[in-house]
Amino acid sequence: MSFFLNQVVIGIQLGSQYVMVALGLTLIFGILDISHFAHGHLYMLGAYLLYILTALAKVNYWLALPLCMIALALGGVIVERLVYRPLRDQPHINTFIAAIGLFLFLETLVRAVKPRAVSVSKPIDKTLSFAGFTIEVQRLIVIAGAVALVVLLHLFIKRTRMGTAIEAVAQDREGAALVGINVNRISMLTFAIATALAAAAAVLMAPLAFISPEMGSVLILKAFVIVVLGGLGSMQGAIVGGYLLGILEALAIAYVSSAYKDVFAFAVLILILAIRPTGLFKGRD
Amino acid sequence: MLELQGVYCNIGKHEVLHGVSLEMEQGELVCMLGANGAGKSTLFRTISGLLRPTQGSITFEGEVISRIRPDAIVRKGISLCPEGRKLFPRLSVKKNLMMGAYSRYREKEEVAAALREVYELFPILEERGEQEAGTLSGGEQQMLAIGRALMSQPRLLLLDEPSLGLAPLVVTRIMETIVDINRRGITIMLSEQNASMALSISTRGYVLENGSIVLEGSAEELAGNEEVKKAYIGA
Repeated sequence: MSFFLNQVVIGIQLGSQYVMVALGLTLIFGILDISHFAHGHLYMLGAYLLYILTALAKVNYWLALPLCMIALALGGVIVERLVYRPLRDQPHINTFIAAIGLFLFLETLVRAVKPRAVSVSKPIDKTLSFAGFTIEVQRLIVIAGAVALVVLLHLFIKRTRMGTAIEAVAQDREGAALVGINVNRISMLTFAIATALAAAAAVLMAPLAFISPEMGSVLILKAFVIVVLGGLGSMQGAIVGGYLLGILEALAIAYVSSAYKDVFAFAVLILILAIRPTGLFKGRD
Repeated sequence: MLELQGVYCNIGKHEVLHGVSLEMEQGELVCMLGANGAGKSTLFRTISGLLRPTQGSITFEGEVISRIRPDAIVRKGISLCPEGRKLFPRLSVKKNLMMGAYSRYREKEEVAAALREVYELFPILEERGEQEAGTLSGGEQQMLAIGRALMSQPRLLLLDEPSLGLAPLVVTRIMETIVDINRRGITIMLSEQNASMALSISTRGYVLENGSIVLEGSAEELAGNEEVKKAYIGA
């Protein structure tokens, strides 16, 4: 039983990174109407920036966390401005192609500069053992960090004027412009928030895994599964879906085989598309 | 107050407005008559900045506004209550209204006063304040759309077919409110397919056909015009 619970906790930790990435993806979906497929690659850039800051420039990990978030928030704004905004009024397929192009560009760029995987050390390299549980402290940091950021994001969206404007733009772009919302500014803000969240996920997760140019590809596919599972554009869907997929994966690794862990995500996608294509929660109409 | 000079506008490659010129004075209630597809909505969307004219100019209170973004036009004092309402369906009624005052958020007292005024015009909106906008009936949604447009405290209100798809009783109620809003000093341009009703509350009117103004005059003149009767009143 404690083994099972231990795996569930690990699943929640895996799910935490999915939630942070999927939330950004679902927010951007609301703004763009399509999936920002390069989102996982901005996560990857966040991890590399952490590597540059901590392993090469010897910056403290806890200082590197906000630095990476700020830098990637700016990166997100640049992506919105240079890649997506010029395509705003064009057919969706163009935006889609641009997203894939950005995805390939970023991955190839990083591979050209640093082809081998790198790693960063854990800020607190300890493992806790109690009552049959064994868990690395870093995993608990991931869980706590994700909860804190998700709560902050929720408060921002539900309680502030700018946050409500993000919802307004997602629900009716023209209506939003007509009440005086600068839709372009809100799009940039959304990209900044979403990319900062992805950077936070990357910084929190990086000490637990290798940093490689392709780390964003599998992650974005899973985030996409979560967004479909939760309901396109739904924030609560992204949260529930992210944790569900994380737990499912952790249990699959423990009881089936780690070789098949990624299979489960896509099995879930196929099942959802077959049984309930609108997802668990109502996102947009 | 508002002046359009030879405004042309395209949707895609298709030219929809072919040189529309018109003028409105402070305090007027002017109706824009025309059949479905005549270009009424395109005209309203052009004035409010959602579309850019390809030629011609739009002047509001002496300032050319034909090249600025819709959110900036709202701040100049023009508010459009669009066809299809364009509400935020999963935000509460109150949040929809508060978003209407998006650019005036610093003027807390004025916004509170505007909200009270909207609730006074449409008491049902206060009752339904916490409900999601998407759950309202069609008539209530139209009231919310008008209310939201008023929250920016515009000097010119553009109403694009506010009666579309509503029950006759609700339409009467909305028309009465439009007159009330106009009496409070807000200049209004109203587009309608139902000409007799629109003319009964307006001071002046224009007739738009295939993207051009073909007729203009006082409400009585238009109501008595044989062409208008044949085409839009069905008498």
